[in-house]
Formats: sequence, C-alpha cells, structure tokens
Amino acid sequence: MSLLRPRVVFLAAFLVALSLVAAKAALGAFVSQCNYNAPTPSPNMYRDGSVTVALVARFEGYHWGGGCWNDNDVDEGPNEPLQTVSSGGEGGDCSGLTFKVWRESLNTGDGGHYQWGKLRNVHGPYSAASFKAGDGVPNATYSKVDATVMDAFASSTHIGMIYQRSTSGADQIIEAKCEACGTNIFTRTYRADSSYGGVRRMGWTG
Amino acid sequence: MRAIRADRRPLRLLGWCACGLALGAAAGVCAVAVATAVASGRSTSADRDPAGLIDVGHLPPLLRLAGEKVTLRFNVFCPARGDDPFGGAPCDAGGDVFVRAGGSDAFRQLPLRRTDDVADGRYAADVPADLAAAPEGFSYYAVLRNEATGASVTVPSGGAAAPQLSLLLDPAVEVDLGRHAFGSTRHADSRVADAAWGSAPGEVGLEHGPSFGPIGPSSFDVASNGEVSVLDQVNKRVERWRAGRTSGVVPVAVTGGIADMAVERDGSVDVLEPTSAGPTPELRSFDSSGKLQSKTPIDDRTWSQLRAGPQGPEVQQEPSEQWMPAQRGRSWLTRSAQGRGGHPGRALANGNELVVYRAGTSEARIAEVSGGRVKRSWRVTSATPLGEIQLAEPLGSRVVVVVRPYTETQDEFLVLVLGPRGVERSFSVDSADWAETAPLARFRLAGSSLYQLGSTPSGTHVDRFDLEVNR
Repeated sequence: MSLLRPRVVFLAAFLVALSLVAAKAALGAFVSQCNYNAPTPSPNMYRDGSVTVALVARFEGYHWGGGCWNDNDVDEGPNEPLQTVSSGGEGGDCSGLTFKVWRESLNTGDGGHYQWGKLRNVHGPYSAASFKAGDGVPNATYSKVDATVMDAFASSTHIGMIYQRSTSGADQIIEAKCEACGTNIFTRTYRADSSYGGVRRMGWTG
Repeated sequence: MRAIRADRRPLRLLGWCACGLALGAAAGVCAVAVATAVASGRSTSADRDPAGLIDVGHLPPLLRLAGEKVTLRFNVFCPARGDDPFGGAPCDAGGDVFVRAGGSDAFRQLPLRRTDDVADGRYAADVPADLAAAPEGFSYYAVLRNEATGASVTVPSGGAAAPQLSLLLDPAVEVDLGRHAFGSTRHADSRVADAAWGSAPGEVGLEHGPSFGPIGPSSFDVASNGEVSVLDQVNKRVERWRAGRTSGVVPVAVTGGIADMAVERDGSVDVLEPTSAGPTPELRSFDSSGKLQSKTPIDDRTWSQLRAGPQGPEVQQEPSEQWMPAQRGRSWLTRSAQGRGGHPGRALANGNELVVYRAGTSEARIAEVSGGRVKRSWRVTSATPLGEIQLAEPLGSRVVVVVRPYTETQDEFLVLVLGPRGVERSFSVDSADWAETAPLARFRLAGSSLYQLGSTPSGTHVDRFDLEVNR
C-alpha cells in the first residue's frame, strides 16, 4: 500500500499543521494576555515598596526575554525550550524583572521612575552584562560590601536583587533564575563571588 | 491517456497536501483561541488577593558582644495603602516584639517604631539594657502586621514556642586575620572525583543559558568511608565515586533546580528542592536505590542549607534564620512542627549546637552552645571583607571554619582550624567556582579531611584537603 494516497497525504499535512500551530501557540498563549500600555510616571520609589512589586512576580515562572506576568502563583508557561528564542511564556528573565522592579525607562538616558503593570510585556533595554557595567542613567556600579536591600549583584549572564542579608553572610536574593528555578527568593553567595559586581538603581526616595 | 493521468497525480497529491496544511492550521488556530480564552479566564480570576501579601526581612543578632546596644530591626513587605498598592510606596505596617531574658521568663511586649532606615530594617525596637545584659542572653519573636489589611506574619515562625535566641559571645577566643593575601592557595592532597560536563555515566550535567549560569552539580556529600556522592540535578541523578573512580549512578526524581543534598548514614539521600507544588520549598527523601520515600514541605519560604543531624535532616530556613528539624524518628514533620522545633545553631551529635553569625562586613562569630549557654566561642575579625561562612563544624576539640574573603575583583576560601587558643592551622583554597552550586554546599568535612566541590569550564571535581590534626 502506497503512503502517497490522497487521504494519507491530506491527513499527514493536517496533523503537521495542527501540531505546529498548537505547539507554537502553547508557548505563546500567555503573552497574548499581556498588554503594551504606556508606563505611569511614579513619584515615589521606596526600597521596601519595590520589594513588594518584586513579590508579585514570585512563583510566576521564568521566561527568557520576557517581562509579563500575572499574580496567580502559577507558571503558565512551564518547561519552555532552553533560552534559544523568546517563546512567549509567563515570567520575566533576570534583567527584565530588575528593569520592571527598578521602575526604569526604555530610554536609557532617562533616570525617572516609571510604573509598569505586571501584565505589561516589557523587558527593557538592559542585559545582565549592561546592568553590571552600570549602563544607563538610572544605574551605577556600586561597592558589593555596602550593597543593601534592592541593590543588585550582576555578572555577565545574571542579575539578582538583594532581599535580605542572612546570618551566614550569604544574601537572600529575589531573582528570575532559570526555567527549572522560576522567580523566587533564594539564598545566594553572589556578594563574595568575583564574577559578580554590585549595581545600584539611583534615585530612591527612601 | 494513461501518461496524462500519471502526470497529474503529483499535482493532485500536492493539492491534498496544501488542503491538509491549510485546514490543519485553521483547526490549530481555532483550538488555540479556545484554549487561550479558557486560560485567560482562569488566570485572571485566580489572581492573588493583594491584601494577603506580607513578608518580612530580619537579621537576628545571634551572637553579641557585651556592651553592644541591641536594636531589633525588621523590614515589612506588603502592599501600600490606597488605590495603588504596588505604586512603590512602603506599606503601612506595624507590630510588636516579645522579648524575655533567657528562655524561661515571661515575654515583655515592645511596640515597633517606624524609622527611615530601610537598609537595616524600617521597623525597630530597642532591647532594654537589662535584657541585653542578661548572662543567659535573651529570646524573642515578632508579630508584624499590615495595618491596612490586618495581614500578619510571625518571625521566627514558631513564635513563643521557638523564639529566636541571642547570646553573649564573651568570653570569646579572639582571632585577628589581618589583611588577606590573595594568590597563595594550597593544592589539594587528592582529587577524589573528576568528571567532564555531559550526561553519560561518569559525566555531570551543566546548565547554561544567555541569562543565567553556568550551573553545575548543586551539592555533594562525603560518607565516613570516603565515598563521594554528587547531586547531578541536571541529569536527575546522584553519581558516586570511591577511591577516585565512579562507583554508581542512582536516578532520583528531582526538579532540576539548584538543590542541596545530604546523604544519611544508611545511604538514604535527602534533597532540598528550590520549589514545590505548595508555597514553600520541599525536602525529598530517597532510599539508597533512588526510590522516593517522602516529600516534605519546609516551614519557611527560603532555605540556605541542609545537613544530616543526629536525629534526621535539619534545614536552615529564612526568614526565621533557624535550623529546623524535618524528621523525628521515622516521622516527617509538618511545617508547623518544624517551626516549633527551630533553634539558632546546627544540631551536633553531642547534643549541643553550633551557632554561626557573620556580623558586619568582616567579622565571623562562632559559638558552641549547650542548654542555651555558650560553652566555647570564637570571634574572627578581618581587614578584608568576609563573604559567607561556607562551613563550620566541630573536629574533636576544635572547630573547622571555611570563610570567603573577597574584594570587588577577587575571592578565595580561607580554611581555619580553631582551637582553645586561636587559629591552629589555616590555609587558602582557590574558589574554583566557575559553575554555581547551592549557596553553602561547596565544602564538607569527613573524618579529618575537608572536601571541596569545584568546577572549571571543562568539568567538575571534588578535592580532598587533609587537615593533619587529630580528632
């Protein structure tokens, strides 16, 4: 029996198209709930207030190149392919989370405060490496010894914000870490790790 | 005629193929639209109520010097009052600290005052001088509230049943390290495990992406017979080495995130996962063949380390900053039972506990505590900033401590063998930290040897350093 019968060809083509569309959409389904609203200028930016903003992203997953999440404590785009393309799932990546929590502008020359809604799909112009270098008017390199709540530690591939110092001398860090780790508060030893540098968001109200 | 029919057949097949692709794509789009609508409705309706969101940051002064003024400070993280709860303003919080001398008197209630110091904690209470000076130390817990919503959190989580303990260090053995000299590291006595990155037996997995990593094996442990177990969470297995050669591979059902691990005397393997299905991380226990025995959520939101204690695994948890038992006898403990069992130091086989406190930027305080009293203690100061204390463990009458001196561009590990008169032996070790591990999982002590889990771009290894002291 030949596989090149019309019905077989039709069925095979139908299934291929169906699975391709479904697979692409399954990963991109979450981002379709996001928006592209303009940010709201924010008069205040307190360190503890910004921690609360970061807590909304907790449990919402990790998504490379992402910057959009809701607040239902479920990662709605789990098990995405390993960081080869931005696939439209839920959650920020490390620099996207930092950009939003630090209320930065898409204009790297603007040091003002901008509130981005949790469902606003925005990553911002900075990579972990550019944060580490202190790129952009709002950001500056900073002494690791003196880094405190809502300052950050950044390497060439990752950035996480300080949540609280621990009795061991390690730090509790809030970060979007990796697909298997998600976005959460983890104990890390970035402070003493020479591949990490300190970064400070300038212009805190308090 | 037949020739013409044969010529048209490929065209007909192409037509059926195009038709199938078009209809398949259309069906896919319809299915996705329905699924998206369902998902959208589900996620919007299930958003968390901001009123319930509250968390705390607190650094307890576990070990103090006589005469130090004691102010307990807390940050409270909760939504701001008003129409814009996530507008960036701090929340309207408050609370009380309940303090008592030692562990037996009635608690005194101290209201927290609001300050402008977010770095150390916006909410503060000064411990009365008589309690701060009490020779048995003082114990306390705090209840923090969002005044706008009534949401509250207690720290440590065990509250009055397991308050935090703050002890006077004096008299401590003083150790002044001076300025650390980078670059004079000791070579290992032996490399007891060596593996290239990969997934084949004898190799260890590496995770690396454009915005994270590299992340290698996240933890390891060493048995008293020298057998090394490495948690290869990327490949979901534990690999074992004996006498420098691979001796076994045990598959384990782990999530693949950065986890800590402890191997118990009977060979069972405890893995402390970064996440779980619930709100707190999960401790998974496997028998020596890798069969899952239990999944136990831990009490607090965050962990820093897992160790096998004399009565079962114990986890150092945050924000409580206490070691909490996960098991008593054959029973795994509920979250609240773990909180009620919280204590400031790691439990030791002799019934005492070892309390560790990295004070300021360059000071390490270590005390062995028995019955709430300091039996022996050390105060280690350095002119070079100190990072985390990777390991603190008794070795006979001594204590082995591994700290991490650092500058903005350099770091090494410094091994100290502390005795009754100070440092008996010390040496530096290359940090060998190309790949990330669990935070406090780079060193283990077995017998009188120190083992280090290290990595380079070509692979991972475990090195042994003989401490050359008698137990």
